[in-house]
Amino acid sequence: MYQYIVRRLLLTVPVVLGVSIIVFSIIRLIPGDPARAIAGVNATPQFIQQVRVRYALDQPLYIQYGRFITDFMRGELGNSIFSGRPVTTELGERFPRTLLLATISLVIATILGVSAGIVSATRRNSVFDNASMLVALVGVAAPVFWMALMLQLLFAVQLRLLPATGIGTIRHLILPSITLGTASAALMARITRSSMLDVLRQDFITTARAKGLNERLVVYKHALKNALIPVVTVLGLQFGILLGGAVLTETVFAWPGVGRLLVDAILRRDYPVVQGTVMLLALLFVLINLVVDIVYAFLDPRIHYQSGSGE
Amino acid sequence: MSKKNMTVTVGLAVLMLALLASPLVAGGRAETAVDRDTLRIAIGAEPESLDPVKMTSAPAATVGEHVVERLIYMEEDGTLTPMLATSWEANADSTVWTFQIRQGVTFHDGAPLNAEAVRQNLARFVDPDVGAAYAFLLGSVQDIQATGEYTLQLRLAQPFAPILSHLSHSFIGIVSPNQIRDLPPEGTFENPIGTGPYVMDRWSRGDSIRLSVNEDYWGSTPQIPNLVFNFIPEESARIVALETGEADAIMAVPPQDVARLEADPNIDVVFQTSVRTIYVSFNNVREPFTDVRVRRALNYAVDKQAIVDSIFEGSGFVADAPIPDAVFGHTSVGPYEYDPDRARELLAEAGYPDGFSMTLHHPTGRYPLDATVAQAVQSMLADVGVDARLETREWSSYLQFTAQPPEQAEYDMFMLGWGTVTLDADYGLYALLHTRQWNPNGNNRGFYSNERVDELLDQARVETNPDQRAPMYHEAVQLIWEDAPWIFLYNAAQINAVRTNVEGLIHHPLENLSAWDAYFR
Repeated sequence: MYQYIVRRLLLTVPVVLGVSIIVFSIIRLIPGDPARAIAGVNATPQFIQQVRVRYALDQPLYIQYGRFITDFMRGELGNSIFSGRPVTTELGERFPRTLLLATISLVIATILGVSAGIVSATRRNSVFDNASMLVALVGVAAPVFWMALMLQLLFAVQLRLLPATGIGTIRHLILPSITLGTASAALMARITRSSMLDVLRQDFITTARAKGLNERLVVYKHALKNALIPVVTVLGLQFGILLGGAVLTETVFAWPGVGRLLVDAILRRDYPVVQGTVMLLALLFVLINLVVDIVYAFLDPRIHYQSGSGE
Repeated sequence: MSKKNMTVTVGLAVLMLALLASPLVAGGRAETAVDRDTLRIAIGAEPESLDPVKMTSAPAATVGEHVVERLIYMEEDGTLTPMLATSWEANADSTVWTFQIRQGVTFHDGAPLNAEAVRQNLARFVDPDVGAAYAFLLGSVQDIQATGEYTLQLRLAQPFAPILSHLSHSFIGIVSPNQIRDLPPEGTFENPIGTGPYVMDRWSRGDSIRLSVNEDYWGSTPQIPNLVFNFIPEESARIVALETGEADAIMAVPPQDVARLEADPNIDVVFQTSVRTIYVSFNNVREPFTDVRVRRALNYAVDKQAIVDSIFEGSGFVADAPIPDAVFGHTSVGPYEYDPDRARELLAEAGYPDGFSMTLHHPTGRYPLDATVAQAVQSMLADVGVDARLETREWSSYLQFTAQPPEQAEYDMFMLGWGTVTLDADYGLYALLHTRQWNPNGNNRGFYSNERVDELLDQARVETNPDQRAPMYHEAVQLIWEDAPWIFLYNAAQINAVRTNVEGLIHHPLENLSAWDAYFR
């Protein structure tokens, strides 16, 4: 197990290097120029030249990349071209907010999704099953943007129960995390249901029932533990998606996280910020996947992460 | 599923959706009571920085000018009034300007304001190593000296008539010398220490900037103790924030939402002119736009009034000159009346009786409803036989695309806007229409050239007597109008909205919203 973790950690190096090359080149392939993005129609030739020199954009690409990657190894992400502030500072301010939002959303999504999935599976084709799967379908299909606006109109404008935008209190967190978590909850409900149904059909469940075990024990101990494996995979992936994909939610609710930072940075051609943010998200994604794989081993004793020792 | 079952299913689904939300809303009601100590203004974007040498946007100017002041203030009508400079005079040939700096003013950190403090700030602003994007505003300044404790002297390379309005620009703010003394050229600071009516309190990145009143302000102290600028990028969310009272005022209301806000008895919608002109420029060195008859024809073909009335709900003004009427040097010479028959005639005369095809480039989302306007222009041109293919690009690419030198420029026509933020014709005409400003040297992206216009613009730059200058611009404006290097469209309006219990906000034509005179009713 220990060996496996070390090997996986080493594997993150080529993955992250690959990501760094891709993000570095793509942002430079998009036409446009940071100086023009900053000064708009007023960008003078002098200013454009100054920005190119100061941020080494006049250097050959391999030199720029070399500088970026050696800085990155030292934990340096450079300064934002737009604000002049260190990218690490910008990320340090924004990332905890995105992490908070994504975590709460995931918790909501898991509680709602998994419980709805279990109940649907055990009462298959009941009214509850049909209703919750209908809700799940709507949840997956509803555009985040639309959901967000509807929630704002209902809870902020009509009922005046919750603030529509901003940060600060727990109450500011409610609407954005519901918006962000809905699609994940819906997805998780559907996966839990089908996985549960799959497991409930298997022989060992029949055996357990035949032994005379009480149904609750069968469902929650024997079946659930096995049914959760695909759910955990989805959970891990969803967390990664929630962290990186909160852009729309963050925009509508004026929630200042990394999603908005990234989009703004792309529009402004703020190369250091784009690079830093993508690298952070890529690293997290890789690590989350690693954690998911380790959790597998605990959930399913049949899985052994050992090289060379066949079973 | 049976029909009855179906009904129950849907009913249950609705119930579940409601339940889903119910435990979460038990937190109590949002504060709707008015907090009379804090004025909240929602703006669409976060300032990139409040360091004068890093500032480039209207939101930065709006927040910044509450904290940091400049030598001269420009009133809403364009009048220049003393701010940190109490008086100024020029020598006989207007190459040396002497400013008296206001006495008894202290920065928020207690440092005294004097000529040396101002000198350090201006020197930093123009320092090429610092590289301020707007350093060109003081491009004519050769030397800055503090010649006395409260006397500052600017020496210009040659007379530059608009120097005073350039000095009034919100980006040329004066901060405490303690803040910049030991800063390296590439260095910047986060919370400016100025002399303004408000003091920086807290900048919560991505969310808001909080200011508190400066009790020792040299002018009249504002009545509202706290001022908060919230950044809400999404238009509809900004409107929701105003409706719920989370914001007391919002900037940049989309025209299509004006009716909804006007229907709310607690909200006033405020229309203010802006200094932004929106135009479609021809590539004046490319066929068929080398022919003035074609350029005029296309001006006649577009119904500007219809654009203003139907797309902007009547806000905004049809352009009657290449610069808005608030600008010094403006004279009304237009508009080209909507006359499709005249357009067809002119096109026939020019040898295009059946029209022609070309591409119209336009930005999307940069100016209010810009893509919609481009579509309207397209359909009006189609009416006179000109087939315009629309092409859009994301803003930063668009700027680069339209900044190519003439031999590489791949465009026929492009839509763009320009804010004459100094309220002086030089800023609007020289940069956009002088031959020396052709790409890539400046902003003459359409390659307009007229020797007489160049001559007039050059003369008006060095002529400091306003009575002599104005006629020069009037002649230039007339010539430009006849040459029709652009389709002159409209001057955009700004639309802000304020809750009715707030009074005294200044909606400045420069797209700033100022709160130092504001109070709650």
